[in-house]
Amino acid sequence: MTQHLVLALQAAADTTRAYGEFPLIGARAAVWIAAEVHLMFAAFVLGVPMFAVVAEAIGIVGKDARYDRLAKEFTRLLLVAYSATAIWGAVLVFILATLWMKPWAYLTAVFAPSMWLYVALFFCESFTLYLYYYGWDRWKYGRPKWGHWGLGLLLNLWGTIVMFIANSWLTYMMTPPRDITPTTDPATIKLWHAIANATWMPINVHRLIANVVFGGAIVAAYASYRFLAAKTDAERAHYDWMGYVGNFIAMSALIVLPFAGYWLGREIYQYDQSMGITMMGGFMSWLWVIQAFLIAVLFLTGNYYLWIGMGRIPGAERFRPYTKWLLVVLVLGAIVWGTPHTMIADSKELAAMGGSHHPFLGALGVMSAKNTAVNLMILTTFLSFLMYRRANTRPVVPWARTGTIIQGAMFAVAAAVVLFYGIRGYFVEAIVRIGFSVYQVLAVLSCIVFVTLIDILMARGAQSLGAIQWGKMPPRSQYALFILAVTFTWLMGLMGFARSGIRQYWHVWQVVQDTSKYAATPALGYASKMISLCVLIFLTLVAFVFWLGGLAEKSTFVAPAEREGGGRRVGH
Amino acid sequence: MWATNLKVVGIVLGTLALYTLIANKIPQVQSEVPQTLTLGANVTPEQLAAAGEKVFNGIGGCTTCHGLGTRAPNLLTDEQGAGTIGARCGKREAGKSCKQYLYESLDNPKAYIVAGYQPIMPVMTKQLSPQQIWAVIAFLESQGGAVDVTASDIPATSSTSTTSTTAGGGGSGGFAGGSTDPKAIIAAAGCLVCHKLDGQGQVIAPDLTHVGSRRNAESIRKKILDPMSSIAKGYEKLAGIMPKTFGTMMSAAQLEALAQFLAAHK
Repeated sequence: MTQHLVLALQAAADTTRAYGEFPLIGARAAVWIAAEVHLMFAAFVLGVPMFAVVAEAIGIVGKDARYDRLAKEFTRLLLVAYSATAIWGAVLVFILATLWMKPWAYLTAVFAPSMWLYVALFFCESFTLYLYYYGWDRWKYGRPKWGHWGLGLLLNLWGTIVMFIANSWLTYMMTPPRDITPTTDPATIKLWHAIANATWMPINVHRLIANVVFGGAIVAAYASYRFLAAKTDAERAHYDWMGYVGNFIAMSALIVLPFAGYWLGREIYQYDQSMGITMMGGFMSWLWVIQAFLIAVLFLTGNYYLWIGMGRIPGAERFRPYTKWLLVVLVLGAIVWGTPHTMIADSKELAAMGGSHHPFLGALGVMSAKNTAVNLMILTTFLSFLMYRRANTRPVVPWARTGTIIQGAMFAVAAAVVLFYGIRGYFVEAIVRIGFSVYQVLAVLSCIVFVTLIDILMARGAQSLGAIQWGKMPPRSQYALFILAVTFTWLMGLMGFARSGIRQYWHVWQVVQDTSKYAATPALGYASKMISLCVLIFLTLVAFVFWLGGLAEKSTFVAPAEREGGGRRVGH
Repeated sequence: MWATNLKVVGIVLGTLALYTLIANKIPQVQSEVPQTLTLGANVTPEQLAAAGEKVFNGIGGCTTCHGLGTRAPNLLTDEQGAGTIGARCGKREAGKSCKQYLYESLDNPKAYIVAGYQPIMPVMTKQLSPQQIWAVIAFLESQGGAVDVTASDIPATSSTSTTSTTAGGGGSGGFAGGSTDPKAIIAAAGCLVCHKLDGQGQVIAPDLTHVGSRRNAESIRKKILDPMSSIAKGYEKLAGIMPKTFGTMMSAAQLEALAQFLAAHK
């Protein structure tokens, strides 16, 4: 042990070397864990304020105290999570400065001013958060309440800018501007030129959405635990509702996430086709099969939660016969999406397969089939949600039947467009085929937007078939929320590996080469162990954070009586 | 409550274990760092083919396009009924042996474009050392044919060729053995693979025949050192194609000689 300690101290003290070493687990694992766990906490503390602010606004406008309490409970979870994020951020900086000196020196030479700004904004964000949380009860009613809500907006603004700055560092490593060469003095590179690189904005947008998904999933898991631990029906009802809201937010944002992913992928291809091919068809090709499996788990579990949830909604039984068909579509879609196509393979494997593609399954592995599958899965999930939403109501507007027929027709048209372009894609050039995915996505998004619009109008004055019996959910539904949270977190780790790994043996793509003994990018097996370890560390710490939050304040569930009485005062 | 806690822990650990297990069951492919290839005088065809397979799957980047069935012809599997590359290479061009055909395809890929494909392949003799090139040829021959590459095919001067960054004749001594003859530098650097000059070369990049009327020596020097510093009109879509490394691959004297030579092409 003493020897390891001495080694660690030597590594920290010796700044003449390009890289340091870390005892027991090695430098790569140390950097990996520090970066990944910090990122997971950062995603949580950036995602949660977004819907805390939305929930607070719904509470003010709708005069519903439940949403205000929900927003406050989210924010309470943030306080300790925020400290954990900062601690892991400090761990990461120290690890980088002592183990990763060569690239760290390069990056600080390029980005130093933005790092100072990052720290300043971090202060702003921290104090805005404290003000937002501790001022909650002081500015609870009337105009000051809107001022308080403004603080929430400001909190999101600081957080978003902080994330954008950090994103510029990592995207620069992936896609440095083309005029920067190995001989370019980093001190001469203009800061904005380095920040506004090819993948900066796509990553910003992708992470913004992904943080919402992630935050929603973690909050839903928190609520599910509190549901399982609840001692009264009222408490159980509150956490059932909270779990539903968290899951709803996560699944809604998940639906648009693939589109942001397409944009990022396209930018990577446009920047350097060989990098794109390494990602999709090179040594990382198997990663997408794993990703497809994880997405399938998310879709199936998310829908499963909704279908079980319909059991506590009076009137939902009329939709139950349809769920098995939805399940069939989801399973078939998942199988198609998970079909390998462009696999890196050696000559023996190619010979065993009988060619570069499987003679039968190869046809299902192409983008035409996969895009069709994922779009149909999104449509199916939306249909599940629609049934859930309409379960305990019967529309009474005179045009209700026509509206439902139009909604059905919209689903049919969207599915037909998706299928048509999916099949047509087999008969056209690749460049034309890529354009078809835009039509498929537009058809699905249009369907979601217009069907929702019609549904909102149809729900006006709708006859209620009974109130949702919050809290009357079987425990297995709550375990489904845990699976969703673990899967989202694991998927985040996997995609982080994909993004970082496509640089291969470059710290900064084709500018600064990785000359350490860890320069080779590891295979998925090693990566999966690291991801699982990081997820475990993160979830364990989050559980501790939540436990601490519970110690600080009693459960904030709102009893039904308080819901009515307290609600009237909010916003007045 | 303990039962609930245990169930939650079990679900979390079980889910993590499942994902980790699946990721470890699929083929494990690691992205290796390009290694120096050193072949002795007594190298056997088997050793050459084995070394070539590593280059093919690694630093050569061949799998980036070959084997996908869309960007480039299949080499390790059948291509339109003609068999694998080792079986068909000797029949592709009349009078050319498999070895000759493969070398020329790597040295001048535009010479033999297979019908249905675009001329997108880079000049591999500029990317890889001669040892790596001949090892790849041996590997390709082994795919359905007989390997006839021997140590005598590999130029004796190439025994110290190492990685891709110095391959192609560059390095601290510069192109063409450090010669300051502009034509020798142009030939060694492979400029005419993309540019045209005095009626020779390709027209993928701007014609250099009258480059002196558009750029002075300083501008040409800057363009070679930093290809993105200015992009000729009409070639914006090809921005980034010209290697950034010429400035580090030729000596200062060579750079100056080349810049003056081209500037004189009014």
